This record gives sequence, structure tokens and C-alpha cells, in this order.
Amino acid sequence: MARKKKCVAMLLAGGQGSRLAPLTENVAKPAVPFGGRYRIIDFSLSNCVNSGIDTVGVLTQYQPLELNDYLGTGDPWDLDLNYGGLHVLPPYQAAKGGDWFKGTANAIYQNQKFIRNYNPDYILVLSGDHIYKMNYDIMIQEHIDNDADATIAVMDVPIEEASRFGIMSTDSTGRITEFAEKPAEPKSTLASMGVYVFNTDKLLAYLEADEQNPESDNDFGKNVIPAMLAGGEKLHAYLYAGYWRDVGTLSSYWSANMDTLGDDPELWLNDDGWRIYYRHDIQAPTYLGEHASLNNCNVAAGNEIDGHVSDSVLGSNIIIEEGAAVKDCVIMNNVVIEAGATVEYAIIDRDVRVCEGVKVGGPKETTELTVIAAGETVGGTGDLLGRFCAGDGPGDGANERKEV
Amino acid sequence: MNMLGLIFADKHNNDIGELTARRTFAALPFGARYRLIDFFISNMTNSGVRNIGVVATTKYESLMAHVRYGGEWDLDRRKSGIIVLPPFSYFGGEVRYENILEALQANIAYIRESKEPYVLFTCCDAVGNIDYAAMLEAHVKSGARFTCLCTKNPLNKEPGVQTTEFIVAPDGRVKDILIHDGANGQTEGAYTGTHTYIMGRDDLLGILEESIDHKKTSLRKDVLKPALNDSKVMAYVADETLMFIDSDASYLKSNLDLLNSDIRRELFGQELRPIITRAGNSSPAYYSDDSVTTNSIIAAGSVIEGTVRNSIIFRGVHIKKGAVVENCVINQDSTIGEGAVLNYAILDKDVLINDKRLLSGYITHPFYVKKGAVI
Repeated sequence: MARKKKCVAMLLAGGQGSRLAPLTENVAKPAVPFGGRYRIIDFSLSNCVNSGIDTVGVLTQYQPLELNDYLGTGDPWDLDLNYGGLHVLPPYQAAKGGDWFKGTANAIYQNQKFIRNYNPDYILVLSGDHIYKMNYDIMIQEHIDNDADATIAVMDVPIEEASRFGIMSTDSTGRITEFAEKPAEPKSTLASMGVYVFNTDKLLAYLEADEQNPESDNDFGKNVIPAMLAGGEKLHAYLYAGYWRDVGTLSSYWSANMDTLGDDPELWLNDDGWRIYYRHDIQAPTYLGEHASLNNCNVAAGNEIDGHVSDSVLGSNIIIEEGAAVKDCVIMNNVVIEAGATVEYAIIDRDVRVCEGVKVGGPKETTELTVIAAGETVGGTGDLLGRFCAGDGPGDGANERKEV
Repeated sequence: MNMLGLIFADKHNNDIGELTARRTFAALPFGARYRLIDFFISNMTNSGVRNIGVVATTKYESLMAHVRYGGEWDLDRRKSGIIVLPPFSYFGGEVRYENILEALQANIAYIRESKEPYVLFTCCDAVGNIDYAAMLEAHVKSGARFTCLCTKNPLNKEPGVQTTEFIVAPDGRVKDILIHDGANGQTEGAYTGTHTYIMGRDDLLGILEESIDHKKTSLRKDVLKPALNDSKVMAYVADETLMFIDSDASYLKSNLDLLNSDIRRELFGQELRPIITRAGNSSPAYYSDDSVTTNSIIAAGSVIEGTVRNSIIFRGVHIKKGAVVENCVINQDSTIGEGAVLNYAILDKDVLINDKRLLSGYITHPFYVKKGAVI
């Protein structure tokens, strides 16, 4: 019998993530740092390996350099395999010409050859920009038990938020009867998580048909799923009740980081039963000085902290000098907060310096979320400084940003 | 690089008690996330050494698990790399070799097969961020037959532990080698040796063949001292801070010395000379609302709910509410119960201190708790 894999995962990592700007100005959204030590894509990749899936195609397009570097040979996830493993799949030129990936479905269509190498029974389609811990194997087993052609993971969301998602209606057996992408008047509260299991042959057939349709946007939610429903295929919803966040906006990104804090966090990172794997930098351990105080914080390695930090998530190689105060912040790598500076309710991107005595942001009850873009030096005078200030209040998904 | 590196994992002249009861000396955890061998491998790779042999004779399981193929140091190459050399019976000799010379003799085949014209060999007694490339340069420039690394300022050297000392002429030439019991501290005007040497490979092979034939076993007594008169034996005096680890107390002191910012920067702050270790996959450290932490090094993956002062905390340690940890080294995955108070204690890995226990040693006599113990 020829070698084969039960399931190949196709991870969509090419989106620009423009609503996360400025964090995504020079880096693809899946490679944006998260939770002090991780990148957003680590969650999907770790879910794969923890679910026993060892063959993953990562579809890249937007700003791939840092993402490619980060993925490397896939060794942090034990995905450096001789047969299977992690493969970065960028757009390419072929004999009959080449093209950018036109949509999520087209990205997978263009990489059929990769999938066929492994002759999988099932294809798992994932997004590289969601924060969650999920055992895909349970979903695949349910897909098999239902004898389904496709299974879509769904979450029960509040009805007032339902119009932001792809919404499924199901019958009593969980079979999907109707699908509406971002409906103005949702008929159900089951929202698609962007996690799909397909029978390989069925998916490839529908991708071929979708490709022949010049009217199509080549998108899973808009085109492929509706086509399968119209074609009478058996689509099932898989109800997932665990933690899942789309970190598509600055406020949702900030909130998901905060979910890792607390004595009993919503998103527990120190979970031996479901490790989230990541690529390491070389770092010394973190040193806390004579004047340091840390309360309700997650702190990675390589930091020198002598100030006050509370309710915050800190990356690596951060210096917080004596008398500086940091509260309600997400701080990424290589940041210096000089003596006496205060930073409150902010996202600080990499390689930022906040100068002595400067005040950034303000109380989260009365101030909008402040975002300091990578490489900035924040100095001078004024209460609210920084290149960008996010205009989205917590939880509402509005996401304009304005220059300050 | 034209130098082969050899690291002797065992402590040849003395043991340091229970810390090395179950692991070879080089595998000793140090500085919240390292093992001693990390410093020596990193120093070698930072100095351009690309072939490294690690000689271990006993209790080397944790050492091998740590070093593996050396991928962290980019030593997992086709043409070079790192190899752990476990003991084997050689020329009818003993399986366990006690001395550097015996260890070299046993591994003569490995040295013979290497291509590098120079050999650097070292024990793991003195920890620092050491520039071996500068030492080799001095060796070549001086035209020495042997170059011996030594220091004027052996930090945390334990009184009463056997010491090698070099009496050195103003031109750097070694005039005499003293081996004494260390009871009276450093000899006036002498330099303390670190068991780190550079010499020519062909010369070394000749010495090894001759010493095997004549059943010689001591590098210092049988090789170096007799060579002092007619060969050039040079001292290379390190500028670097060198911390000695030769007792429980010096282990504690050397760990706590990392709280000194100058030492910390010298060891870990040099961009071109990073000290690399095998990384785990820890989450960030979590500090609860109740945590109080001052002047301490705390690794990732730990959970701090109590008070930590002047201490070194390794990965995965859990310090519960109301616990007070002061002047301690707490090794990986240990748990300190609520309200427990620890002062000048060294906890080995996987120790459980139950609620409200009081443990106290002193800087010269730390309270040591062995691996896996429950108190």
C-alpha cells in the first residue's frame, strides 16, 4: 500500500490583517507576536500537532519574509519530517503562467499537487489568525461518524454579534440547512470559526468547479460552502464550546492577550496537557531589580525590570527602568520604558523606546487604546503620544484608526 | 577554526556533594535556565570551535539529554559537530578515569581522527564568558608548547578544596605548578588554574602515546611539571570573571552573583558572545496580584504568588501564596507551599515543600534538598 496521510491541514496565512495595522505593517498577521512568547500562528500549528496532524501546508502571500523565517523547517512544532511536516506554500509561476492567490479557495486549488502527494482522506482548512486551543481529531472523528462531506466548526455567539460572522442554520441532527455570510438578520447564532474538514475528493471537485466559474470570488465562505449546500452535499456543524478568538482588530487582540492573565485564566498558556509550541530566541532569564513590582503579569525571558508592572503581558528583552509604571499593556520584544515613564492601556510593538518621564495612554475606563508602532521613539511632551491611536472601543469591532 | 574542543564533564578532583549525586558535574543546573556545560559549549562556538567532544564517565544521562546533537549551538552539521564520549575500556585500563590525562588517553582515537592542529581541553570548574580565540592567539603568538588558563581572582573558590596554582614569571612563563589542599586560600602571588589548556594536536598525541606506555596518569605531575624546564609552558591570565563551583556554598554564591548587574551583563549581555542553552517550551512566567519580587532572576514557566528576594528561580517553579523565598536557588519544577519560609536553601529539581515549612541555612552552609524530595 502506498504511503498516505489520514489528514492534511491547509493553513491560510496570507491575509494582510489590515485592521490590525500598524502591527501588520511589515509582518503578516499570523506572525504577529502574542501572549509574550508566541506568534498568532503558533496556536493553529500547535493544535495540529497536538491533534496528531503532522502534515501542514502554510499558504503565504502578504509580507511573508518574517513569517517564513519564523516557520523555518517547522522544527519547533516537530514538523521537520521526511514524509509530511510543515511546508510553506507561496504563490508561484507555472508553465501556463501564475497568479497571486485570488481567494482562500483558490489558494488551496493552486496547491492540489501538494495535497495529492499525501493522498489524504480528509483536508482540514484552518486560518492562521485565530487564538484557540482545539482538538481537531475529535472534530474529524465526528465528521467520520456523521458520514459528512464537509464539517464546519461553529460557536454559539450572542445574537447581536451574529451578523459579523458566517451563520449556519442546522436541523436537529446538526446537518447544515442554510449558510449566510455576515447576514443582516441572522437566523441562528451558530457562527463559523473558519475551521473546515472536507472529504478530499469532494473538496477538490468543488474547487475545480469553483475555478471554472468566472463569477466566483474563490472564497470558502462566499462560494464553496454555498455551492456544496446547493449541490445537496452533506454538511455538518461541529459545535465547539472552548476558548476561541478572532484577533482581527486591535481591541480584540488586546483583549485576547489579557485573557492569558489571572489565577484562572480564560486562555491558560501553562497547560501541560495542550502545549503551545513556539520558536525560541536566545535569551537570558528575566531579572527583577530592587524596585520592581509585578502584579497580574505574564513575563517572558531576557527582561530587566525595575519598575511597576500590573495587568500586562510582556515579551522579551524589555527594559523597564526604576520608577516607570506599566498597566493594562501588551508589550512586545526589545522595548525600553525609561525611568519615570508611565504607559497605560496600550499595545507597544517591537523596538520601541518610551523616553524618561513620558506618559503614554491613560486609564482604560476613560481612554482609547493606544498603539505604538514598531521602531518608534516616544518622547517630548503631551499626554497621548505615538503614531497610531486605535479608535475601536472594547468589543465592538469598529476599527478605524487615526493618526495622532 | 583550527582548534578541537574537549570538555571533561566530570569533576575530577572532588565532588560537590549531593548536587552531583545523580548527574555529572557539567549537567549541573545554573542561573535559572542553564546547565554548566552551556557556558563551555557556547564559549567554544563563540570562539569559532566547530568540533567538540564531551568526555563523560558517569551519570551522564541528563547531560546527553541536554546536549543531544547540539542543534541549539548550530553544531548539528555534516562536517563537524558535538559528540558525547562515554567511557570504555582502553588498552586494558579502567573504565572510569579519574584524571584529565587518563580521559585524554581513553579518547586518543577521537583526537587522532580530528584534523585541527590545536586542541583545547577544559574541565567545567570555572564558569564565565571566556574568549578561547584570544587564548589561542596568545598561545600561537608566544610559541608556547602548553598554554594554561588561570585567574588572579577566583570568585567563590571554596577554602579547603584542592587547587592548582601557577607561579608565573613576568613574561608569562609558568615557573612552578602547585597542587595543594587549598586550606589556606590562595598562595601569595600565584594564579589559580581552571584546568583549561591549549596545545598542539600532534604534540598531545605523542604525549598520550608515551604516557600510556609508561602508565602515567597525571597531566600536572607527569606531563606539565617535568616540561617546565625545557618547554615553554605559558600562563594565560583571564580578564574574564571566573566563578568557581566546588561546593554547595560556592554553587549558591556563584548563582547569587548573577544578581550583580556587572557580572550578569558580562555573562549574558554580550551580543556577539551569547550563552546558549537548550530551550524548553515554557509559557511566560506568571506573577499574581499578591507576588512580591525583588532582586531576583526568575525564569519563564514559573508561577509566583508569594515573595521572592535575592533568589534564582528556574523554569516551572511554583511559589504559592504567603511563601517567602530569600537567598535561594530553586531548581526546575519545584513547588513551595503556602506560607513556607526558605532562606539560603538550594532546592534540586522536582522538590515539594509543603505549606508552612521553615527551612534555613546560611550563605556558607546552604540547606540542600535533594531531587524529588517532599518536605
